[in-house]
Amino acid sequence: MNTGMKKATAILFSIALLASVAAGCGGNDKKSGETASTAASSSGPPVTLTVEVFDRGVQGQPDLNNNTWTKYVNEKFGKPNNAIVEYVSVPRSQEVDKLNVLMAANQAPDISFTYDGTLVTRYAKSNGLYTLDELLESQGQQLKSYLGEKVLSYGIYDGKQVSIPGKRTLLAWNGMFIRKDWLDSLGMPVPTNQDELYEALVAFRDKNPGNVNGVIPWATAAAGMNYTFGNLVQSFWGEMSEEEFVTTTNWLKPGNKDAFKWLNKLYDEKLISPDFALDKTTKQADADVSNGKVGFYAANWDYPLLQKIRDPLKQNAPDANFVPVDTFKNYEGKYLKEIYNENGLFSFIPKSSKNAELAMKYLNWMADPEVLFFLQFGQEGVNHKLVDGIPQGIAQTGENMQMSNLNLDYTLVVNGAELGDTEKNVRTYAAALAAGDQDYEKLAIDSYKINTTDGYTGFYYGVPNEANIKYGKTLGDMNKQMIDRLVVAKPAEFDALYGKLVNEYMDAGGKAVQDENVKNYREVIANKK
Amino acid sequence: MKAVLDSQRNHVGIKRSKIFLLSIKRDAILYALLLLPLSYIAIFKYAPIYGLIMAFQDYNIFAGIRGSEWVGLDVFRFIFQQDSFYRALKNTLVLNVLDLVAGFPAPILLAILLNEVRQAKFKKMTQTVLYLPHFMSWVIIGGIVYLMFSNSGMVNNLIASLGFEKIEFLSQKTPWLITYISVGVWQNVGWGTILYLAAITGINKELYEASDMDGCTRLRKMWHITLPGIKPTINILLILQIGRMVSIGFDRPFVMGNSLVSEYSDVISTFVYRVGISSGDFSQATAVGLFQSVIGLTLLVSANYIAKILGEDGIW
Repeated sequence: MNTGMKKATAILFSIALLASVAAGCGGNDKKSGETASTAASSSGPPVTLTVEVFDRGVQGQPDLNNNTWTKYVNEKFGKPNNAIVEYVSVPRSQEVDKLNVLMAANQAPDISFTYDGTLVTRYAKSNGLYTLDELLESQGQQLKSYLGEKVLSYGIYDGKQVSIPGKRTLLAWNGMFIRKDWLDSLGMPVPTNQDELYEALVAFRDKNPGNVNGVIPWATAAAGMNYTFGNLVQSFWGEMSEEEFVTTTNWLKPGNKDAFKWLNKLYDEKLISPDFALDKTTKQADADVSNGKVGFYAANWDYPLLQKIRDPLKQNAPDANFVPVDTFKNYEGKYLKEIYNENGLFSFIPKSSKNAELAMKYLNWMADPEVLFFLQFGQEGVNHKLVDGIPQGIAQTGENMQMSNLNLDYTLVVNGAELGDTEKNVRTYAAALAAGDQDYEKLAIDSYKINTTDGYTGFYYGVPNEANIKYGKTLGDMNKQMIDRLVVAKPAEFDALYGKLVNEYMDAGGKAVQDENVKNYREVIANKK
Repeated sequence: MKAVLDSQRNHVGIKRSKIFLLSIKRDAILYALLLLPLSYIAIFKYAPIYGLIMAFQDYNIFAGIRGSEWVGLDVFRFIFQQDSFYRALKNTLVLNVLDLVAGFPAPILLAILLNEVRQAKFKKMTQTVLYLPHFMSWVIIGGIVYLMFSNSGMVNNLIASLGFEKIEFLSQKTPWLITYISVGVWQNVGWGTILYLAAITGINKELYEASDMDGCTRLRKMWHITLPGIKPTINILLILQIGRMVSIGFDRPFVMGNSLVSEYSDVISTFVYRVGISSGDFSQATAVGLFQSVIGLTLLVSANYIAKILGEDGIW
């Protein structure tokens, strides 16, 4: 009897144990391996500072928490401050989703970041972030002078500094690229306006100058990822007042409808990738471009330089020569296009963090030019060689590899090469991406020049748009769906569909956002006067 | 008098609890084993009910449930004003009804057919092959579907090479619906047969022998013996299925959907994902979840009630 009871309790305990183990497994969530071990030493137990990092799933990438760069950080920042810097990886494509969950569970890293400004505003509004004014004053002088007032102003909410925006050194956003070799073999000029582009696309379709199976004159993918329609839409916009330009929903701007009608016509004439709306991951478009089947495409201004495009294209179509073009002229004869504001991602310190001071110290330390240089370019002779004062990247594998362009995911205070002046920065960035290929360097420099010409930046209100916080995500999703559906629609149904979709969009919050924009805009203007 | 009554009651009470304790002692190990699934249900099914409070709050992820402001039914009011919610609800119902119509009879038919297969080896193999899709992730199935049914996919290339016009399986409403439903049936049909096959094994063999003596054909036997034999199982599964009418898995519509058919592929689960996880509005997501559960419970109870009125076995 007694032994029976003992047995039973033993079983009970073991089950309880099992259950707790199982529960523990679920909760742990694999914080990307172990800590970076090396730094632990000296007086008292070291403090662990957690920092978010994107996991971009790059092929062959080293442990995101144990590589040349994290070792450098732990050596140079961790040791003197008796701290261990641990990186918490977040999948790039689910950045916001994952961050929401981490924040809600009070488990967000001491330094978290996002590119989504509205998200920061929402956190700040819910009182979930440290206000950083005092910390910046006491611990962040170097950072403050590096970023400057303008950049820092993007991180102010309700008069308080709630996030530290990174400084963006290169402002170009989108670019468009055309196969120069195809144009040459057809004896056509590089297009400089919409009609010439149309003729070129038709010629690509009909004459198939590359002699490829299944030529795609204009490649794109489902809206919302890397592929875009360049500044086509802007070129259709008619004349409007400054206020209208800033506050009116794009869908209602004069000429916007005609832009999509034109795209719709192109799609109907089989000039645009047939299944682009189904290509939610851009895998198909990437494959088409790098297989040399594509004549023209629009994506980020540096897209052709990316290794995943450049390398396979060289192999599959050695003669392929993409050149950047500016081909959408508006009614004023300008190549109007949106460029980035001077800020990059937003770093912030969640209220749940116990290491706010150390976190600010870390960001401040990073603004040191020497530190930035190492993190962006590594060691001379190993990671780069200096040519005319421009660091040229040397292709790397293993723990020396950079998972993002110039380690942009580790250098939170800067976005883009930082050597002190723009021209140098562009050349450096180009050199780093082109990995020694002169043609690609030229492409990047040309592309940057073209894609900052006639640029305008998104208007910065300085106050949050409440409606946008509430409806922003839904509207963003609707935007993407509308673009795809309008391009693919049967031409006869286009007009009706445009009206219907825009009405739905306005009802789903578009109107509320626009009204608040108008209100905020007028306040900003009134304050200026 | 009073005292006597009291003592009697106490007496009974002691006796009962004694019996209870005794029976626990006797089967201690069995009860201990039961503890694991019970704690699973307690932790993962009952404990989260606490979170339903969020549906009635302006939930602040930093203040938590205790610190958030109570707003009553405001969240529900906001949801019911949104067109996209109704669209999601409608789509969920449409997809589920179609799934029920096409997907429910399929495993029954298949089970009966499998049951008639004489050769044991062939039967086992067929079963295994039919189960397999069930273990495939929707992400993979989505990839296969894209490769096969997109405009430049295998099937359309075949259609085109035979000189017919291509069918836009994935970008037009009706073809997409048909693809969506058939892929679902293909994935689940094998798995669904398991319960029915088990039920068929339970049918008294003598019935078949007797009908053989009377010279019944195979079809007659299926109709008059097999089907009535598995009717209780069919009933229960049908009732459960109806209870799930307003809930829908996330991965299948998310993976199979695309912007061109979003008007039909946006369902409640993707809606909840969008407003809850992506936009960080946990109040709304919880409210929709609660709404879903209430409707689901109502449907389940009414289906059960109707089944009982019709003289069939319910689930309780």
